[in-house]
Amino acid sequence: MQVQDVVCTFCGSVCDDGEYDLEKRKIKKFCKLGSSKFAEKERIKAPMIDGKEVSYEEAIEKAAEILANAKKPLLYGWASTANEAIRVGVILAEKLGGVYDQCASVCHAPGTLATIEEGLPGATLGSIKNRADVVVFWGANPMEAHPRHGTRYSISVKGLLVKDRKQRKVIVVDVRPTKTAKIADLFVQIKPGYDYAIISALRAIISGNADVVPSEVGGVPKEKLVELADIMKGAKYGAIFYGLGVTQSRGRDRNLENAIKLIQLLNRFTRWVIWPMRGHYNVVGAGEVPAWEVGYQYAIDFSRGYPRFSPAEFSAVEVLNRRDCDAALIVASDPVAHFPKMAVKHLKQIPVIQIDPYPNMTTLVSKIVIPSAIYGIEAEGTVYRMDCIPLRVKKIIDTNYWTDEKILEEILKRVEKLKG
Amino acid sequence: MIWIKNGIVVDPKNKINAEKMDIFVKDGKIVAERDVKKEDCKVIDASGKLVVAGGVDMHAHIAGSKINTGRTMRPEEMRVVRNIAGKFRAAVGRVLLTAPAIGYEYAKMGYTTSFEAAQPPIGALHTHEELDAIPMIDKGALPVFGNWHLVFKCIEEKNLEKLKALVAWAIERTKGFGVKVVNPGGVEAWMYGGNVKNLDDQVPGFSVTPREIITWLIKANEELGLPHSVHLHCNNLGVPGNYQTTIESIKLAKGFSNPKRQVLHVTHVQFNSYAGSSWRDAASGAAEIAKVVNSMENVTIDMGAAIFGHATAMTGDAPFQFSLHKLIGARWSNKDTEVETGAGIVPIGYLPSNPVHSLQWAIGLELGLLVDSNKVVLTTDYPNGGPFTEYPYVMAMLMSKKMREGELKKVHQYVQKATTLPSIETEKTLYEVIHMTRSLPAKVLGLENKGHLGIGADADIAIYNLNPLETDFSNEFEKVYKSFKTAEYTIKGGEIIAKNGELLKEVFGKTYWVDARKRVDLEAVIPDVKNYFNYYSVQLGNYGVEERWLKNPSRIEVV
Amino acid sequence: MLILRPKGEFEVCVEAELTPELAMRSVEEVKKFKVYYGNRVVELGELFEVVKEGEEKKLVLDGNFSRVKWIGARMVDGEIIVKGSVGANCGAFMRGGKIIVEGNADDWLGTEMAGGEIVVKGNARNLVGCAYYGDAVGMTAGKIVIEGNAGNYIGEKMNGGEIIIKGNAGDFVGTEMRAGVIEIHGSCGFVGGDMRGGEIRIKGSFDLLPTFKKTEKGFVGDVNVKGEGVIKTL
Repeated sequence: MQVQDVVCTFCGSVCDDGEYDLEKRKIKKFCKLGSSKFAEKERIKAPMIDGKEVSYEEAIEKAAEILANAKKPLLYGWASTANEAIRVGVILAEKLGGVYDQCASVCHAPGTLATIEEGLPGATLGSIKNRADVVVFWGANPMEAHPRHGTRYSISVKGLLVKDRKQRKVIVVDVRPTKTAKIADLFVQIKPGYDYAIISALRAIISGNADVVPSEVGGVPKEKLVELADIMKGAKYGAIFYGLGVTQSRGRDRNLENAIKLIQLLNRFTRWVIWPMRGHYNVVGAGEVPAWEVGYQYAIDFSRGYPRFSPAEFSAVEVLNRRDCDAALIVASDPVAHFPKMAVKHLKQIPVIQIDPYPNMTTLVSKIVIPSAIYGIEAEGTVYRMDCIPLRVKKIIDTNYWTDEKILEEILKRVEKLKG
Repeated sequence: MIWIKNGIVVDPKNKINAEKMDIFVKDGKIVAERDVKKEDCKVIDASGKLVVAGGVDMHAHIAGSKINTGRTMRPEEMRVVRNIAGKFRAAVGRVLLTAPAIGYEYAKMGYTTSFEAAQPPIGALHTHEELDAIPMIDKGALPVFGNWHLVFKCIEEKNLEKLKALVAWAIERTKGFGVKVVNPGGVEAWMYGGNVKNLDDQVPGFSVTPREIITWLIKANEELGLPHSVHLHCNNLGVPGNYQTTIESIKLAKGFSNPKRQVLHVTHVQFNSYAGSSWRDAASGAAEIAKVVNSMENVTIDMGAAIFGHATAMTGDAPFQFSLHKLIGARWSNKDTEVETGAGIVPIGYLPSNPVHSLQWAIGLELGLLVDSNKVVLTTDYPNGGPFTEYPYVMAMLMSKKMREGELKKVHQYVQKATTLPSIETEKTLYEVIHMTRSLPAKVLGLENKGHLGIGADADIAIYNLNPLETDFSNEFEKVYKSFKTAEYTIKGGEIIAKNGELLKEVFGKTYWVDARKRVDLEAVIPDVKNYFNYYSVQLGNYGVEERWLKNPSRIEVV
Repeated sequence: MLILRPKGEFEVCVEAELTPELAMRSVEEVKKFKVYYGNRVVELGELFEVVKEGEEKKLVLDGNFSRVKWIGARMVDGEIIVKGSVGANCGAFMRGGKIIVEGNADDWLGTEMAGGEIVVKGNARNLVGCAYYGDAVGMTAGKIVIEGNAGNYIGEKMNGGEIIIKGNAGDFVGTEMRAGVIEIHGSCGFVGGDMRGGEIRIKGSFDLLPTFKKTEKGFVGDVNVKGEGVIKTL
């Protein structure tokens, strides 16, 4: 038996054309990354407190107690779970007077800050696939990080107006010749940390101030920048996809603000859009859900009973660096593997509760570990693709594991009781 | 069971005008006196108080990717704290509100139903997730059709059966309520950096025109017999001189009729009522539009009134949003959506010292005053014209010339020559204003059990501390405004949810959706849909929303 | 003069809008002043020792206040002396008076400040004199002096006043600046992106953006916003 239209819960491309063979337990059509997600992997076997196996109820009871007693619990993760679970998580953070933060704060959050400053002139992947005759990957390497992005949405895909790869010009701007750069029509190699200056130069060239621009900017000769500007201006419909190369290098949100201003300018001549290459399959949901529930996407503090947003204070790394939390709930994430040393150090000093299908580095420092079902395989739920398109991921096989949503709901119920 | 005793009832649908009477509630419905056991009733003494149906907002942007992007790009909007977490959720927002705040604020004001006015079909699930997160009120959403390639194809082929099948299919897939059309053809032109300017402009890449898109969708909508008519956001929104396009569009309803309701609803008309050739010589076209609307039996409009203060422009009209961004230099979000539609968002504000803003403010009121009360619904096109929480301001203004005279002194005097507002003597009656905020929007939407207090209606009731028999609406406008700001009681589905501005109970209302599949042969369009899905970025099998995913769906079947 | 000393190490950060106004109250009143300790509201006296010496409108914060946020926020007059380091949002929305920090300052120092003076003897972190997210203008008046180094994003959207950094500053100084003066005695990274007006004076080295014209006044730009901001050597 085959299940059709299986939705992948690995990366932000959220491919939805998988075919799952129930007998062989194998997925077809997905890339290596997606296929590995659908292959059997080591799981956390049972709920644990201090390394001892316990029932779900016992683990949840204890977790609720720790969280309810904390002065400021940090609730972090959320990028690899479904909206239904995220919603309960946000309400739980509100109820606890804690902090809600999600994985974007260490990857694409600068894009959110740039949106605050300048907006987000964008498009869905389906619009780009059909219309974009020029596609720029800036600090993004989909050939490795989003393997099917090019064939489904952006490079070789057959679109309505842009029929094939030949009709689409692909440009890569990066600090090194990536795999994506190798298949590009134009590769612009820039000096690390000079994205902002190069974008400023492009804006100046496009708006008729080329004379001010010096002969070389950020390691790129002026002629090449003029060439790039001409291609951009000459596009019928262009799209910039940006990646962590821009958001996590010198300038961060300022780079993106500048890039959005470039898009604003280009739209005075032709059509251009810009969009982030989001990483985890539902990192968009991890921002959208709290936005409608409490008004902000990430770094939200509820200690006063209402939400406040301040990335420099309430993003997980900043909270941990300042020792500004006394308990943590980590859902579907591995901060111990990815956070800076100082932040991890504090995480090791406070009680940590982990909810995750898989064991990881964070499991090792967690007082309570609660295993959960895998969305898209063992559980159904809503997720948002990188372009905010909602997709319903499927339950294709049965499990005894509880879903994140159910675990969180049970914690919330107990917290409500404890908090009165 | 509830017994509302001795209230002064205004219920225009049932022709009750300020009569002292009792209202009985049982199982979420309004029932006859004999159907309740009085000793089991909770009694509300409404002596000397106004009892009306819960308000119905037929056009607001309350859920989905647009308002959520608005929230994301405007953290400064979210700093106003309206409720601290406790028995109820934390609720924040200045004009843009969080989902809990939307429900709470409507409830406090005595409104119990609100419809999201623009749902991108592919984003339907997102819209519904947000609707599900809004407490207190009943809801619905209108998917957009006016720039969808599939719609263009059916019209190019002049194949009405196919178009009807597409509409029925799409409304079911999106769990939508009706047919919304936003700047027909113009948003597709925007994909090439343009717009359409006239009803007869050809849409780039297609041999269809805005005129054909509107007309064919009215035809399809009427043959399907949907509860609501086509709901049109006209071409040229926000452009001086656009009132003529609006009049031409309104006239497209000629030749259609429906005994139950209008065949065309034209929305937030304030933004489409500008005379003149630029913002330097812009003037009001409201009087001309009112004349045309009043002369037709099958068209309704809503005001889209502008309220001074903060607002956020968010529409499916992407080219308009870009022009606005260029005009005022503010932040700009845009979303080109597959081969379906588009959208844009720009923060704005209305200042009384600004001649254009004052003009917009005046035009909204002119429309409310000059158009027959049976044809104009009170809206602000939230959050485009401002907050829905200021509906009471508009209500009071419509009923008091004196209040208008006072307000006119505070605004830019450009309105003196550019609008007819200063010379309008009309004072709408309470009966008319209650109609414009309750029974009329319910009728326009085709919701038979909403907007009135007859037997069998939903027990959505608002009680205001205002005795209509003893109030001088011309002179006591401050009291009128204040009374309507905060209902003494708001009853939703038979439960008291708010009292004097305090929330009493959190309830989650229904989401209405329309199923017209039985009216068509879906096979007429499915092959085309399958073919078009080559140009989508999701599988057809993953497109759409299943009823079981919704919190509290209510299907309205059209047979 | 009022002296506050932390009673011990805080478990989580404290949020306390401590202003010189407190020095005008009785010790008993001060002890009852509400501060936020995580998700609890506690009385100031629970966390700090309170000593009053005379009637001077002066607040002395003696000890480690690096995890106490919002000190001096919205203050209008008087003086605060922080003997150690200070937490985030110090002097935000300040309109008058003086804050002296003997140690270091955390992020958001003097945000949207409209008057008064802040002196930091140590280093300051990021976002000095900026605007909070979503707001259109940063610091509009007053003076901030950092005797050590400062972090990134100094004086963003600044619309008046003066920021003086005696050491080095990080990247993106004076982005979208409209008016006012920033002086950096050391070196810094990118300067003046989309600057419309105001002046940035730098003694050491810096990264010039490709959108400034060299003139007699110094570098003028940013041309992308038809700006008339000036960057020159100190």
